[in-house]
Amino acid sequence: MPTFYLDDKPVEFQEGQTILQAAMAAGTEIPHYCYHDALSVVATCRQCLVDITDLGNGKGLPKLATSCSTQAAAGMKVSSTNQKVRDGQNIINELLLVNHPLDCPICDQSGECDLQNYAFRYGTGHSEMAYEKRTYGWRDVGTFIMLERNRCIHCSRCERFSMEIEGHHDFGHFLRTHELTFDTYKDHQITHKFQGNLADLCPVGAITEREFRFKKRAWKLERTPSVCPGCSTGCNITVDHNDGKVERLKPRENKDVNQWWMCDEGRLTYRKANDKTLRLTEPLARVKGALVPAAWNALLEAVAGKVKDLSASGDQVVAVADLDSTLEELFLLKNLLAGAFGSGQFFAPHAPESAAPAGARFLETLITPDKTPNAQGAKLLGFQSEAGNKGMEKALGKAKVVFVLGAPEASPALLNAARKAELVVQVAAYRSEWFDMADVILPALTWTEKYGTWANKQRRVQALRQAVNGPGEARDPLRILPDLMRALGQEASFAPAPDVLDRLAKGEKKFAGVSWKVVGQQGFTLA
Amino acid sequence: MLKETLLLAKNIRTDGYDGSLEAYRRAGGYTALEKVMKSMTPDQVIEVVKASGLRGRGGAGFPTGMKWGFIPKDRKPTYMVCNADEAEPGTFKDHFLINNDPHLFLEGMILGSYAIGCNHGYIYIRGRSVRPAQRINEAIEYLYKAGLLGKNILGSGFSLDLTVHRGAGAYICGEETALLESLEGKRGQPRVKPPFPATHGYNACPTSVNNVETLACVPFIVKEGAEAFKKIGTPNNYGTRLVGISGHAAKPGIYEVAMGVSMKQIINDLGGGVRGGKKLKAVIPGGSSSNVLRPEEIDIPFDFDSVAKAGSMLGTAALMLFDEDTDIVELAYRTILFYNHESCGQCTPCREGTFWLRNLVRDFRENLGDSQKLERIGRVSQQMFGTSLCALNDAAAGPIKAFVTKYPEEFKKHFI
Repeated sequence: MPTFYLDDKPVEFQEGQTILQAAMAAGTEIPHYCYHDALSVVATCRQCLVDITDLGNGKGLPKLATSCSTQAAAGMKVSSTNQKVRDGQNIINELLLVNHPLDCPICDQSGECDLQNYAFRYGTGHSEMAYEKRTYGWRDVGTFIMLERNRCIHCSRCERFSMEIEGHHDFGHFLRTHELTFDTYKDHQITHKFQGNLADLCPVGAITEREFRFKKRAWKLERTPSVCPGCSTGCNITVDHNDGKVERLKPRENKDVNQWWMCDEGRLTYRKANDKTLRLTEPLARVKGALVPAAWNALLEAVAGKVKDLSASGDQVVAVADLDSTLEELFLLKNLLAGAFGSGQFFAPHAPESAAPAGARFLETLITPDKTPNAQGAKLLGFQSEAGNKGMEKALGKAKVVFVLGAPEASPALLNAARKAELVVQVAAYRSEWFDMADVILPALTWTEKYGTWANKQRRVQALRQAVNGPGEARDPLRILPDLMRALGQEASFAPAPDVLDRLAKGEKKFAGVSWKVVGQQGFTLA
Repeated sequence: MLKETLLLAKNIRTDGYDGSLEAYRRAGGYTALEKVMKSMTPDQVIEVVKASGLRGRGGAGFPTGMKWGFIPKDRKPTYMVCNADEAEPGTFKDHFLINNDPHLFLEGMILGSYAIGCNHGYIYIRGRSVRPAQRINEAIEYLYKAGLLGKNILGSGFSLDLTVHRGAGAYICGEETALLESLEGKRGQPRVKPPFPATHGYNACPTSVNNVETLACVPFIVKEGAEAFKKIGTPNNYGTRLVGISGHAAKPGIYEVAMGVSMKQIINDLGGGVRGGKKLKAVIPGGSSSNVLRPEEIDIPFDFDSVAKAGSMLGTAALMLFDEDTDIVELAYRTILFYNHESCGQCTPCREGTFWLRNLVRDFRENLGDSQKLERIGRVSQQMFGTSLCALNDAAAGPIKAFVTKYPEEFKKHFI
């Protein structure tokens, strides 16, 4: 690969790459606002100025050049740190602050604001501007976002996103000079499903999420890489949390899955993760028709005793799993059934998939009609999935013992069939329609509280990571299932998700080659 | 006593000349076009313009032949665009040509279009220039009737249509890429360069944007040859300039001089010096974007290189004179007010810098100045210079910097 010299260090680049792109790929920071990998280059913020002392032909440029719009060339010598560049960066930063309200103390972006960061890193630290600042009136622009135009630095990322990525072009710029403003048309409110991305793109606090408004200072947030549970796309995200509470979900770049984006529906799934009203926090057992709290060990023994009494044969034991169960949990459930009962009757009810809109923009393909995160995984593990399937209804009708993992989607007919079983054991995080018929409820962790993997619509195995602790006595299903197995006389012990995944990769042909390491933070697509 | 050198204004200075097609042809017009259509290839036209050393008259002074030579031969369509926006304060030379002798630059434009293989040219003129736009449209109508425009011009097989596009009147639309955006029907904002218009211009096709006065020079060059053109002016600054003298001049107006004559002589002999016998305080040599010159600095040859050497810019050769009663602070304020108002706002330095400078200079105008503020004007204008996408930023920062460095005593008068 050809090389150029950035601050006297050789940097490799690909033909057509700009100085900024090559520098970022090499891990050197050049401050910038208007440039974004996903958007066209406009070179208007002027923050990424560099000094090209040699174009590769012995001649330099007299003026500073924007690194975002200048292609790297072999032998080029570029400085991003000399005094000329420092002066350029300083004045741009100073000028950006000329009309900026500096309301960081009440700004949600504070702490993760490019303007703030660069002002500290590259600015002069003081301003000589002593005049009344330009201010704009308040505007209600979107159902999911807030616009505070006074903070705007006019990078035009929002407009380019609307035009180039989202397609409605309902964000644009109006007026000119220092009165230039980025806005929607008068009275137009943005209602599309990807508004949160505008807030992500905005390098300052001009566009912020309504949902996160005044909730938490950004520097208090811990960010745990994870996967969105909202649909079968499995957008890569970070779970931003503080004090055991999930505050928001933000997309995480993954070129093969969601690029930089995420839908607003997905962002709102954090609400359920924080839900307290439907959450199951202690083991429950049905005594004389009512569910009463019980101790974990006693309950597991009681389950084992009852199973023994029923002496159910293989075709009298059924497992029904929810499609937000992780691959590891499904694998253990399958083992439990096979090991303790020799049963192969495991189901994962699933609404029939309707096709995603064809020929749509990439962004629109992110929202799939299939609202489960691990349908492909369950299918690959052999879980039968057709909803309303007579086979499932029939099996449940004959079953003496039913294991329920999570809260599987179930038709009334299916629920009625399950009601007839002698023993229904549910391992779940939330109350659901199964609550009324379960004899034993074992409280489990939800997706923000545990490790595990899901396979998305592309059969890409992606990892969840624990962000917060579970409530009350809720336990990881990866612990509950082995405990159950042991109580039923099998040899089993708790193993963390990576170890279970290794066993799964050995045991299931379709998962050959998968390991926690190859899944990493970007996922691994199955053959 | 300095006399005019008549090259472009020759017809106009002839008594009874009305600028009609008939009058223009009687004066030898369109013979260059006939010559080219009969006996010259496009490349030969480019070669002769290159050889003449003609430099663009719109302000930057880029060699025209070289500009035409950049147009790729293998990509169609190509476009010739004439920049008749003439937005630079102080400039009125293009209107002078368009109103009095429209066929001169139109002939140049047809020749240029032939040279770069363009079959549809655009003349971009600001909307409020109603009369000049009408004048061009009338002239074009006559050209179609005479078979000098349209299909198969003079039996050569070359076809050309010309369209007049009237802009909405933003200063920035005189910048070539903003002009092209505006021409495409978009908001007039400069584009990122590269790619340059020569490869990606109007509708992303190869485009050459030329000033009216530049195109008006082309018929002479083609007809009389590059050597005849080079006899006028000084090395690297060939030809004449239409100098628009305005401000406190005794005889304001357009005068055509050979490049390289003394600027002082132009002012005194042609412009009649300062009106009312007053003393000269300041001269702006090339439109409001060029740096101001003090009276002791004006004894220089009036051409691109000499004016640049003196720390200013020949620009559009719009000489503005200011007499001893002029308040330089007021002049600086009006200048920055204009640039602040006309900044398109996309680049940070120009958007915020002109706003800040305007506020700073206004303080002096309101007698609220102090030495710190004076220093600040100098610092901000110095630092913002050269950091924007297009030249508007520099056109605002440069002159303000020049005002405060050359006339600090004027600013000191307005201290608190």
